[in-house]
Amino acid sequence: MSEWNQSSVNEVPSRGSESQKADETFAMGIALPDGQIPVYDHDETFHEKPENQWLEMWRSLRANRAALVSLVFVLALVVIAVIGPYITPYNPIETEMSNALKPPSAEHWFGTDQLGMDIFSRVIAGTRVSLTVGLLAVSIALTTGIVLGAIAGYAGGWVDTVIMRVMDMMLAIPSILLAITLMAALGKGIDKAVIAIGLVSIPEYARIVRGNILSIKENDYIAAAHVVGLSDARIIFRHVLPNALSVIIVRATLGISSAILDTAALGFLGLGVQPPQPEWGDMLGRARGFIFQAPHTLLYPGMAITATVLAFNLLGDGLRDALDPRARIK
Amino acid sequence: MKKSARLLSLVLALALVVTALAGCAAESEEEPAAEEPAEAATVDTFTYAQGADPRGLDPALVDDGESSKVIVNIYEGLLKYNSESTEVEPSLAESWTISDDGLAYTFKLREGVKFHDGTDFNAEAVKFNIDRQLPPKVTEEMGYAGFVFGSVKDVVVDDEYTVTINLTAPNTAFLANLAMSMAAPIVSPAALEAGNNSVMETPVGTGPYKFVEWNKGENIVLVRNDDYWGEPAKTKNVIFRFIADNSARVLALNNGEVDMIDGIDATVVEQITSAGDELFEAEGMNINYMAYNTTTPLFKDQAARVAFSQAIDREELVTSLYQGYSDVADTILPTFVPGFDATVKQVEYDPEAAKAGLAAAGITKVHMITYTNPRPYNAATGVALATAIQGYLQKVGVECTIDTFDWTTYKEKVRAGDYDICFYGWIGDNGDPDNFMNLLSDPDPTMNVARWQDPTYQQMVKDALALPNGDERNAAYGEMEKYVAERAIWLPISHAKTLAAFRPQVSGFVYHVTGNVFLKDVVVAAE
Repeated sequence: MSEWNQSSVNEVPSRGSESQKADETFAMGIALPDGQIPVYDHDETFHEKPENQWLEMWRSLRANRAALVSLVFVLALVVIAVIGPYITPYNPIETEMSNALKPPSAEHWFGTDQLGMDIFSRVIAGTRVSLTVGLLAVSIALTTGIVLGAIAGYAGGWVDTVIMRVMDMMLAIPSILLAITLMAALGKGIDKAVIAIGLVSIPEYARIVRGNILSIKENDYIAAAHVVGLSDARIIFRHVLPNALSVIIVRATLGISSAILDTAALGFLGLGVQPPQPEWGDMLGRARGFIFQAPHTLLYPGMAITATVLAFNLLGDGLRDALDPRARIK
Repeated sequence: MKKSARLLSLVLALALVVTALAGCAAESEEEPAAEEPAEAATVDTFTYAQGADPRGLDPALVDDGESSKVIVNIYEGLLKYNSESTEVEPSLAESWTISDDGLAYTFKLREGVKFHDGTDFNAEAVKFNIDRQLPPKVTEEMGYAGFVFGSVKDVVVDDEYTVTINLTAPNTAFLANLAMSMAAPIVSPAALEAGNNSVMETPVGTGPYKFVEWNKGENIVLVRNDDYWGEPAKTKNVIFRFIADNSARVLALNNGEVDMIDGIDATVVEQITSAGDELFEAEGMNINYMAYNTTTPLFKDQAARVAFSQAIDREELVTSLYQGYSDVADTILPTFVPGFDATVKQVEYDPEAAKAGLAAAGITKVHMITYTNPRPYNAATGVALATAIQGYLQKVGVECTIDTFDWTTYKEKVRAGDYDICFYGWIGDNGDPDNFMNLLSDPDPTMNVARWQDPTYQQMVKDALALPNGDERNAAYGEMEKYVAERAIWLPISHAKTLAAFRPQVSGFVYHVTGNVFLKDVVVAAE
């Protein structure tokens, strides 16, 4: 059995540009346990990492200028998402038809859209939607993916086969296509978009977690945990998963960016929010006819999406470097 | 890891460059081929580009605008529309009389007209064409047979150039039907027999142009009919080209590859005019409207509907949403359709009265459904329109929820009837007022989306249909407009204009309100 598992560890998730990242985090996940010394107490409690490990990570992250700027940007986004609705200069859903498609000015910093709504206010208000969807979708994918991946990796055998083949089937279909299909089945709305995006990204997490668990569970300390008679659940959640945590954090950070992108894509296709709720992708989609006539209607929501996705990606990269002892910037 | 990332970016960059190069290569390969017809053009070829191939060129078997534009240049019907309106004029029929009971239409046909295949046009040909679209010969593929000839009982050949068409019930709209580009144009019976009752790809008519060839997905070539009974066409060759992509079609016009294009919207206007090409704007035979579901408790009362309508500034809405390419609709009928009455007024914009009226009616939440795509009568999409109206209602304290659907799903939702307000439109078929006004009396809820059943109105529709064309009939439609406007069943929003663009060298085409382009008199000046 272990031989079969070993061979499947080497399977490479293949899905466009993401496969590269997944690949790297994957490889790093295997490497991670080597870089640390598991310490056991007599009372069986397990110290995840020496304390200064976190400090060192922070130092590494701080040394990475791009990641640091991204972190600040992401924190700013979070603040905007929380207080956004109270600081918009205009009501983001108030139309003013006589003032439609006005270029940026002192009154309307980002101009107005087809219905005379203030684009600056809408971009601000849209932050909450994008971040919420990103976080919720990733939470869904993460929890389900971790549980499925952990079960598959730890149990092995036919359980593993069934779970992972289902994941493979999901991976075989382009995620955005699968999300659109799910939306068609579930109906429109931002809540449905969260579910759709969350569901389609489960396989990525499941694969990463499973791969890590396969390698971690071969370690002596897991064998030791078995010997002292710990339950499977306790071994998985207390001893195996914490070792895969860094990989999961990195993946989740990157996952938020792709979830935001997917939300925007669904919004662009008109499957996201119900009008007139502001959402970046939806704003882009509705303004695309005005690309020559009133480019500002596309520019600002487009920039918001780009900047946010870029920030999460850079932060994710920085985190990965920081969490990987070997790639850490000293 | 860093190395592999760098390698990946390099590969991606290479891929991009290769794609870009391939794109250039494809373009430069295409250009000479595309320019070929234009080069032969000088003055004796006119090229018209539209978005798609016709479905076919048998007027009885098609129902799309792409087919129609080609068909009107090959075939003619007994009657034709005035070039400025939808009033009927003689064409293959020189004159006609209607019996007193309105049931028998006798047409005196033009003599000496020949089909492109050399056979004679006569009363037998007319009978043959109508008979093939009547039971028992009519087939399911004949989409317009029921609409155009549904009221026909039989066709009688009186002599070689006189034919009488008997109806089952008086129907004044029948005359307008005979001028339509679907079902009504007369096809050579010999060609129909040779083609096993179909001339989809071998059209033979009496029109100013003869069919030469059809290269699927590329073009249709027509040549002047030198034996035309009237003044022959001015330009020798006419080519219809098919360019699916809107911006590619605009580019083709701006490059001078084609002389005229259709299927454009406000967003490309500047691109066209700045390239020195000209824009053709005409009123369109359509109505873009919002309908109240008169069966819901919310809007079953006239007062509630009026109050809601008062909240909407249609003038401002239409001006900014359609940017001048739609006219505010005060009537359901477009201005050029007989029966149009300029004295009809819809509910006036009055936000204060709206606020009071909506509060009195207890309306705070309204459920709207709309469509996500642009429609010929609403280029801005149903979502934009609904959101704009939602904005107006928000200002008077009413919250509207909007459910949006793609067009196919939307039609199902309209059929299901779960809405307080829906958005719809109508594109006229035959230019007769009945074609618009009977929508509100139709028992079918997919046509009568306000689900309004008013016996008085239904009787008015029925009576007007039987009246002979003229002032009395036109007045009857004016009355119907007022009856509906007063009750605020619909809120008519706009009549979308038809847009086309052409090179400055082009003149003489007739872009009719039915959306057809008559090219008999088109001239392309040499550059």
